[in-house]
Amino acid sequence: MCCNHSSEKETADHNIVPADLRSIRGMSFFDPHVHMTSRTTDDYQAMADAGIVALIEPAFWLGQPRTGLDSFRDYYSSLIGWERFRSSQFGIKHYCTIGLNSREANNERLAEQVMEILPLFINKEGVVGVGEIGFDDQTPAEDRYYRLQLELAKEAELPVQIHTPHRDKKKGTQRSMDIAIEHGLDPYRVIVDHNNEETVKEVLDRGFWAAFTIYPFTKMGNERMVEIVRQYGTERIMVNSAADWGISDPLAVPKTAALMKERGLSDEDIRMVTYRNAITAFAQSGQIDEADFETVKQIDQSGRFEGNSILRGGQQPRIDKSSIIIS
Amino acid sequence: MKNLSSLIESIVYRNLDPGARDWLTAKAASVREETGGTQLALAFTAMPRKTGKKDPGITEAEQQEAERDCKGLYIKDWTLDRLARVWLLMQADPADKNAYLKKIENLFSAAEMNELVALYSALPVLAYPEEWRGRCAEGIRSNIGIVLDAIIHRNPYPAEWLEEPAWNQLVMKAFFTDKDIRQISGLEKRANKALSAILSDYARERQAAGRSVKPELREIEKLGGGGQ
Ligand SMILES: [Zn+2]
Ligand SMILES: [Zn+2]
Repeated sequence: MCCNHSSEKETADHNIVPADLRSIRGMSFFDPHVHMTSRTTDDYQAMADAGIVALIEPAFWLGQPRTGLDSFRDYYSSLIGWERFRSSQFGIKHYCTIGLNSREANNERLAEQVMEILPLFINKEGVVGVGEIGFDDQTPAEDRYYRLQLELAKEAELPVQIHTPHRDKKKGTQRSMDIAIEHGLDPYRVIVDHNNEETVKEVLDRGFWAAFTIYPFTKMGNERMVEIVRQYGTERIMVNSAADWGISDPLAVPKTAALMKERGLSDEDIRMVTYRNAITAFAQSGQIDEADFETVKQIDQSGRFEGNSILRGGQQPRIDKSSIIIS
Repeated sequence: MKNLSSLIESIVYRNLDPGARDWLTAKAASVREETGGTQLALAFTAMPRKTGKKDPGITEAEQQEAERDCKGLYIKDWTLDRLARVWLLMQADPADKNAYLKKIENLFSAAEMNELVALYSALPVLAYPEEWRGRCAEGIRSNIGIVLDAIIHRNPYPAEWLEEPAWNQLVMKAFFTDKDIRQISGLEKRANKALSAILSDYARERQAAGRSVKPELREIEKLGGGGQ
């Protein structure tokens, strides 16, 4: 879950310049936070072309509140089923985190039932953590379900992916970390997401992972991200797009890499924050094998798809977008 | 099936390290005893973490033995976790029919892709085979390639148990999704007039669109008494 677009938007009045990603060609990227359910096949294609080899899709709020348990069950099933398959069609390895998001934790009647089915899902293949969980309005209900899910993660020995609130962010972030420590979680197994200049220092000082969401208008811009890496280095820092149903950019990770390169950061530093650190953090689930980034491309070949499809006969057909002929 | 269970057991066990063997033995024992499905669900889900996903190295002789015990069953290209999951399903006690159906249904309703592959692969060895027709028909509607493969390719269940409309749907889906038609079990046995007619229509539609028609389509069309 990412952004609240109700806040004042800066009107983008820059010239629209198509991104030049040539400088990072050949590099591999890992986007540890992106809501592919809300994205199109064009996005998948563009992500694969830009070098994204694997991603994590955290369970979140779909924009429309759910009213029944089965909606949650089907959503979780789609994260480990249909969406994973869709991603594999483009040779991108898809992982997910499973959890009850903070907004819907406020529907307590439903939240109680969701807690009962979570154990069925968190041990599935490719589930790399409990997430994204944490605070939104910082209500007592959010507090309760955040704590219960921390316990669940501890028991399952899974990393935790924390969503930090948009409003009252600094306090919300501190409180999320305090509670995680209170429940005996190792900060090294907790990824605190949506950081900014105000939160990063404390998150790193306390031993947590600090994730940064490059999201236009409401979160970080990637020029600010370059400065963060200059100031804090690359240890326990990672970049994600958190692209979802809002105005967001599924290429935020490779674009940020390109900008870092242009601004003179070393290839090694870029690799740490756009690939390696996310793997190190989430591989603590025991569910990430980098060899799979290659095999997903082969599985592809047999994983065919219905009718007028994405994939037929083992090759990945591409639409020629410059042609008006559709055949 | 008793025989098949011990055959698969021996293949699985020779591929496991001692820790995983102990784990599986303990889990299988609790699966045999329980009426509810909790132990089955936990062990079924955790399987690849314990077994890994390697090729278990099934010999030709073992494949033939499996096929003798369960006609048409083809296990030779299964990964170890898939084989072990199917074996685990065979350990569930079917005596209480409702409880048995419920615990297997629950696995289906929360399954990820590879779990679905194992579940559909297990259809020929589950108890109360007539009860899985609906599930199988639903699987045919899946768009996930590997799930569809598990039902369409070398799985004897559909030809043995599906009603004609569902069977015809499977064959059509196989053509639509470009599956290897020769790997469908029971094609000749289940050829029928309605299927021939559907295939003829489909062939005409493809020709009209300037697309090719597979030679297998013409063969099945003839078997059912249709064709030009
Ligand atoms: Zn979020
Ligand atoms: Zn999110």
